[in-house]
Amino acid sequence: MAAQTAKRNTFNEDEELEERLDFKSLMRIFKYIGPYRKQMLKVLSIIFLGNIGLVIGPFLLRYAIDYSIPNQNYGQLIMLAAIFLAGLLVSGICTNLRINQITRLGQQILMDMREDIFVHLQKLSFNYFDSRPHGKILIRVVNYINSLSEILSSGLINLISDLLSLIMTFAFMLLMDARLAGISLALFPIVVLVTLLIKNSQRRAFQVLSNKQSNMNAYIAESIEGVKVTQSFAREEVNGEIFDDVNKQYRSSWMSAIKRLFIMHPVLNVISALTTALVIFVAIYFGHLNISAGVLIAFMGYLNNLWNPLINIGNFYNSLINASAYLERIFETLDTPLEISDVEHAKTMPSIVGNITFEDVTFAYDSSKTILENVNFEVKKGETIALVGPTGAGKSTIINLISRFYNLEKGRILVDGEDISQVSLASLRGQMGVMMQDTFIFSGTIKENILYGKLDATDEEVMAAAKAVMAHDFIMEMPNGYDTVVKERGSNLSAGQRQLISFARTLLRNPKILILDEATSSIDTKTEKDLQIALDKLLEGRTSFVIAHRLSTIKNASRIFYVSDKQIVESGSHDELLEEKGRYYELFNSQFNILDKLA
Amino acid sequence: MESIKWIFGYAKRWWIRITIVVLMIILATAVSVYIPLLTGRVVDEVINGGQIDLLPSLLLGIVGATVIREALRYSYRLLSETVGQNAIFQIKDDLYNKMQELDVDYFKQNQMGDIMARMTGDTETIRHFLSWVCYNIVENSIFFIIAIFMLARINLTLTLAILCVTPFMAYFAKRLCYEVRPTFGNIRESFSRLNSMVKENISGNRIVKVFVNEDYEIEKFRKHNRDFREKNIESASVWGKYLPLLDGLTGSLQVIIMLLGGWFIMRGEMTMGEFVAYGNFMWMLSMPMRMSGWLLNDTQRYIASSQKIQEMLKVESTIQVQNPVEKPVEGDIQFKNVNFFYQDDLQTKVLHDINLEISKGQKVAILGETGSGKSTLVSMISRFYDPTDGDVFIDGENVKKYDLKTLRGSIANVMQDVFLFSDSVRQNIAFSAPDISREKIVESAMRADAHNFVMKLEDQYDTIIGERGTGLSGGQKQRVSLARALLKEPSILILDDTTSAVDMETEFKIQEELKKIGHGITTIVIASRVSSAIDADQIFVMENGRIVERGNHAGLLDKKGYYYDIYQSQMGEFLEGRVV
Repeated sequence: MAAQTAKRNTFNEDEELEERLDFKSLMRIFKYIGPYRKQMLKVLSIIFLGNIGLVIGPFLLRYAIDYSIPNQNYGQLIMLAAIFLAGLLVSGICTNLRINQITRLGQQILMDMREDIFVHLQKLSFNYFDSRPHGKILIRVVNYINSLSEILSSGLINLISDLLSLIMTFAFMLLMDARLAGISLALFPIVVLVTLLIKNSQRRAFQVLSNKQSNMNAYIAESIEGVKVTQSFAREEVNGEIFDDVNKQYRSSWMSAIKRLFIMHPVLNVISALTTALVIFVAIYFGHLNISAGVLIAFMGYLNNLWNPLINIGNFYNSLINASAYLERIFETLDTPLEISDVEHAKTMPSIVGNITFEDVTFAYDSSKTILENVNFEVKKGETIALVGPTGAGKSTIINLISRFYNLEKGRILVDGEDISQVSLASLRGQMGVMMQDTFIFSGTIKENILYGKLDATDEEVMAAAKAVMAHDFIMEMPNGYDTVVKERGSNLSAGQRQLISFARTLLRNPKILILDEATSSIDTKTEKDLQIALDKLLEGRTSFVIAHRLSTIKNASRIFYVSDKQIVESGSHDELLEEKGRYYELFNSQFNILDKLA
Repeated sequence: MESIKWIFGYAKRWWIRITIVVLMIILATAVSVYIPLLTGRVVDEVINGGQIDLLPSLLLGIVGATVIREALRYSYRLLSETVGQNAIFQIKDDLYNKMQELDVDYFKQNQMGDIMARMTGDTETIRHFLSWVCYNIVENSIFFIIAIFMLARINLTLTLAILCVTPFMAYFAKRLCYEVRPTFGNIRESFSRLNSMVKENISGNRIVKVFVNEDYEIEKFRKHNRDFREKNIESASVWGKYLPLLDGLTGSLQVIIMLLGGWFIMRGEMTMGEFVAYGNFMWMLSMPMRMSGWLLNDTQRYIASSQKIQEMLKVESTIQVQNPVEKPVEGDIQFKNVNFFYQDDLQTKVLHDINLEISKGQKVAILGETGSGKSTLVSMISRFYDPTDGDVFIDGENVKKYDLKTLRGSIANVMQDVFLFSDSVRQNIAFSAPDISREKIVESAMRADAHNFVMKLEDQYDTIIGERGTGLSGGQKQRVSLARALLKEPSILILDDTTSAVDMETEFKIQEELKKIGHGITTIVIASRVSSAIDADQIFVMENGRIVERGNHAGLLDKKGYYYDIYQSQMGEFLEGRVV
């Protein structure tokens, strides 16, 4: 985890969109809809049926006005009413089915999408998570996908249903009077023109909005996590002001987006009114068209039926543009290339014996600044290697490379002669036990947390692991023993206790290679001493790498690697290195002097 | 109802805008009413009456009225959007500030994902309610009233007949509200669980990879993901039942009109023009009726969310200050019979009868086993917790009497669990004083022995640190957080295992630096290394929440207790070293 130089994003910085997606790519959502074609068809037929129920209304009314009422045929009128009612009943049942089906379908699609993005996230490397605030990743999985809910559930289906009713209405109009039907569409090009005019600025406005949302989410997330620091520095006011600013930016980007969004509606309504006027004007002014009053009145009704779906389609188009701001982000995440993944036909790593070789390993987090250069070493099965050296020299990096958390610039790392880049990650990492500096505890019981190391372990195994790392006693003192619930990040445990639990979790998996990165820094001396005795037993026969500052731990190692200047500059046992009188000797001596001064 | 009152408290600041919105809605509605009148005249006077010369002005009227109506609508939609935005802006600010003042216990009991859900998902529901549902309720009510009035003017009997349907609608609407609200509550809870789970997964991404538990995580995620879908479907099945009913009842109005109206025409009690006009006004009645279901639905959703927000805003921090004294913190500390339990575990006493006195400028070391209560003890000085029993005094004054800002502003607490923000190194160090000069920042960094490694980072002090400090090693993080604390120039400096991840040489350097500035500053060090304790004025050894040994280095060595043992085991290395 040494100095890493990839450009990082913060809460007050908009993320640049790396790929600008065009509308065609947005159609990728159809990939998610595809599997549910059958259900879609089902819903559509329901809608079709329901629309018949609705569309016959004006038709019946026209018939009544033109024939039944002038002819004083009351029986016929009652019959029309009965048909009308039946139509309503059908449409009511259809609406019920439609709501249930559409919700099911829409939620299913959202669920699929969310799962895809989550699964992809699991495959992304440390780099991805380290280079942006976590709140910005979270918002993509949860909030952005939720904002698609409208468009994917009701939006999409309504679009189709609107298109259907548009076509049906237009067909009726054509049947009634083809000339008037034609005139009804005369102004449609204006709609298209306006749409094209505002499209770009609207889209940009929503992109800005989604960025501001993301910034705000990031700031909130980090503020909650760091609240104790804020309180202890009494910085609430400053943070309050920063949030106020983030909040303001969000508000103004919202208003600017919504201003554009709202334009569509009045434009469509005005054009609809113009169309009505045009139709009436043409029908009447040119008397020779010979249009009956009934037809004209019915036509006015149908015009509404024609324009309502058109307005809805306009709205759908609007929301598609809004959604594109979110979809872009979602697809961008889905398209983030996997830096570290299995090669094709990756081998399964055989049971690890524990011989590790670095061959000319060169590594950089970012190619301009190498951290390790041509590092060569060999570690034999069962050896314990202690890594020492100035901070930032690359000790943690060496350790991380063995588990292949990063890819090499050059060279190879071999475990038992197998190039680790050629075996599957799961089979490699599955046999390693890595204990990191940052002891992460999940919310759940203590047992669940230890089980995280080996999901199918028995209670006895869990307990044995806890006993081995001296965690058993304090766990038993907790109110519910192993079933005590710990909170997020283990906030009700002391730092030392957290380290012990994550230690137990690492040991539970019985790793062939054990890697301890400052694993016992917060554990008190007494516990550590006991731990050391237990550890010595456990380490027997296992290859292990240890980064620690305590002399006792370092001295007991089979070999010590002094890491500095992108290299391993010294290696050997404690005694050998002292005799060499090099860097390690200096380090040891300076500590010696310090203690001498103190004592 | 309570939720409505609550939101009104936020919205009333914008009463002028709200009044304008309502006026505009009334105006727009009036125009909307005017349009069908014109259409009716077209039918009556032009189509049936043959007065073709009237047509151009009537059509112009229709189009002109539509333009006015749409302009009004656009304006009031935007205006009510600003009201909604301003209100949730305020709500978010309030939530944020509330979050900042809540005590540690609250964050133990509430998942971060849940708090986030309140500040994002729930406020979004409130925005929707304020800027969409509210004006729609107003608009539709006005339409409803005007429609009834207009319809009754055209034909009273017919209007009374169709109003017979409303009691049924009211009944179903009530059932809808009653049944749908809990389902929205369930969706909300499910959302919050999903949010928390994903949040934790992202924060713990390293551990997930280390243990190759991606599949396990995916399985866990699937469960929450599926649950969220189910909760949405459950809710839809409730409103999906009632909305078509309300819709159908609305549709039946048309049938009543056709039957009765037709009958009236046949009997000569109504003209065809009146009938058409009546039909043209019908949308004005059926629209509010249709919308009522949706609006009620959204209102219930709003209530579910607003309750969660109100709940959080109502929580009072257990750390309260009454009548604060106005005096600076000098640095004398006293614990008197302090006992402590955590609220969520009343069986385990964390601290037993702690009595201690520290004078200004002293250096104090606290040692003891993991989980013996060291961190809890020091966290009482800054009042992250208050004693269950007993009192803590600073300069002879109960800590509870100090204004929190003064108190915490004078104490620098370097916590064991280092938390850095994803911001530049500079901003992290200058956390307590963002505008401080560069010299001061560098000075603090030098004291914490951070300057050298910071200068080696790519952008030096402007290097952005990843969330929680990823990109820095444990020792580097500790040093940045130490620099951050030193910049504060505190009266009391608390170092909770601050140098556990740095090597001994660095630790020594830091100690020397601290000694230089240490005069007059009360320093409390929690450490596992005896080396940090040797020169302390007082040393406390803790075990299971009690102070079991106290004294200075020499005195404690004579006691040959816990301290002596640790000294032996740690210095033993050194003694062996001397032999080499």
